[in-house]
Amino acid sequence: MTQPIAKILVAFKSVPDPYEEAAPGGSGSTAKSVINPFDEIAIEEALRIRERGEATEIVGLTIGPATVDEQVRAAMAMGVDRAIRIDDSRALDPYAVARILHAAVQKEAPQVVLMGKQAVDDDSNQAGQMLAGLLGWPQATFVSKVEFLDNGDRARCTRETDAGLEVLEVKLPAIITTDLRLNEPRYVSLPGLMKARKKPIEVLTCEQLGVQVEPLTTTISTARPPKRTAGTRVESVEELVAKLKEEAKVL
Amino acid sequence: MDFAWSDQQRELLDAVGRFAREQLDYDVIENDRKAIFNHEAWRKCGDFGIQGLLVPTEYGGLGQDPLTTVAVLERLGYACKDNGLLFSINAHMWTAVSPLVNNGTEAQKQKFLPGLCNGTLIGGNAMSEPNSGSDAFALATTATKTGDKYILNGSKIFITNGPVADLLVVFANVDKSRGADGVTAFIVEKGMPGFDPSHKIEKMGVRTSPMSEVFFENCEVPAENLLGKEGGGAFLFTRSLTWERGCILASAVGSMQRLLEKCIRYANERRQGGQSIGKFQQVATKIVEMKMRVESARHMLYHFGWVAGHRKAVYLEAAMTKLHIADAWVKCAEDAIQIHGGYGYMTEYEVERELRDAIGAKLYSGTSEIQRNIIASLIGL
Repeated sequence: MTQPIAKILVAFKSVPDPYEEAAPGGSGSTAKSVINPFDEIAIEEALRIRERGEATEIVGLTIGPATVDEQVRAAMAMGVDRAIRIDDSRALDPYAVARILHAAVQKEAPQVVLMGKQAVDDDSNQAGQMLAGLLGWPQATFVSKVEFLDNGDRARCTRETDAGLEVLEVKLPAIITTDLRLNEPRYVSLPGLMKARKKPIEVLTCEQLGVQVEPLTTTISTARPPKRTAGTRVESVEELVAKLKEEAKVL
Repeated sequence: MDFAWSDQQRELLDAVGRFAREQLDYDVIENDRKAIFNHEAWRKCGDFGIQGLLVPTEYGGLGQDPLTTVAVLERLGYACKDNGLLFSINAHMWTAVSPLVNNGTEAQKQKFLPGLCNGTLIGGNAMSEPNSGSDAFALATTATKTGDKYILNGSKIFITNGPVADLLVVFANVDKSRGADGVTAFIVEKGMPGFDPSHKIEKMGVRTSPMSEVFFENCEVPAENLLGKEGGGAFLFTRSLTWERGCILASAVGSMQRLLEKCIRYANERRQGGQSIGKFQQVATKIVEMKMRVESARHMLYHFGWVAGHRKAVYLEAAMTKLHIADAWVKCAEDAIQIHGGYGYMTEYEVERELRDAIGAKLYSGTSEIQRNIIASLIGL
């Protein structure tokens, strides 16, 4: 490939740090935030594509209040060239996110949008697909390998499916959502963080993007799963079968 | 008085915790058993920015203030269980990097600091000798000037990083009749003729930090590798040792915090006589004492960092910080074993290693007895 892709847009979400103890309940989570791990893989892939000389500019994009700037700086510390934050502190559902991303993608006009296959907080796995639908672009989801062909006209993507690996080619522009085994993201270094402090974050509102969204779903409550209770001992196979039939009702 | 971290400091601290957890914590039991130094982890720490924390940016460092530096090292100690690796990094930072920053010529700084910051070079110092430890300036190693070289003769013992070092800051006397005023520092590089750092020494703790005895036999050191002035070694040593004392146990505070959390978890999970052992007052009291030690150690550390960033004379604070953290660390590790009972004594539980790693803190960078002497003299006794 001789002609690099002019622009890759990477969308990422701030999620509670999966390594911290989660605190579900009425008051919400108090855990520290990090970039959604699948989105971090998307950022890493974009950087590697640029480092191979196959892309020129990597633009980061996220939605959230000013508190997510820490994750925006982490993305820039990894090497993202510039970043946009759509200022919105509401709890957005996948369709609302896809519509905001849609407006931002139209403004930025990238050739590729990379993002995680899902966020580890709500595990919806919808925003990428919905974004592709809104844009009318081809999509490759659950991707574990990406190559560009024909001067960056097409991408050959390997997908991880339940039936095995599926290889498909999409014509650019396209949406690619990333799976766990695509790469291992680099760590954010201290010099990277210091440099990221000097890069500006462009803050836009939905109004400025000309998009009005209202979430279609609302969260009514969150709760811890019930604690597992101790098991019981059975004396015989007959008793076990009987219990499975009558109490557990699985037979 | 504001105890809050700035946004920038908080980001650095979060990044360190994550980096250490994901990149440094592996093979520690095995490396401890076999006394293996983790070169790969060293390089990653350099790349990440640890070794250059305090070094000005024009020499490849991060130009951080002392308070941020000790806080970063504390977080590193919390998230990385390889105390030996951290001990090696500390020796490198406080006995090689910091004397170079403070006393090096422009050419020396340009030549060595970028590599010392980014993890490609490993440094250390060589002061202690078989017959001079606490009485450091009574050293017997000599340096004789011949033309544009110095010829070093003598031997040094307990040299941290010796077997893997690319350079050592070596102290030798240019004129024994002048006593401490003859002590002079030199940058001795790996491969210089007559320099032999290969005689490894086995030790009780921080076993993943390599140590050796170092010999100089008509070792030729070019005059351009003189560090500071002839006869300026004692001042240089005292200054860098003061920094070393204040900062070297920053990671130990993190290690204590990790031990504390481990003990709380265990005391809640382990049940005897129908209840968690943490409900027994004797266990709870030990853990409360541990918490008190960690918090007081942390306050002394941060206070040292703050003072060091605001004025030059930190001898008293450095000695008190070192003394307090060393004693607290050893006691925490000992209590952690007691709380874990038989399991704590087993290698697999990674508690006994902490005690072996901690004990050296009462010896290196001035024994606890020497710290008490310093404090006594500085408070008018």
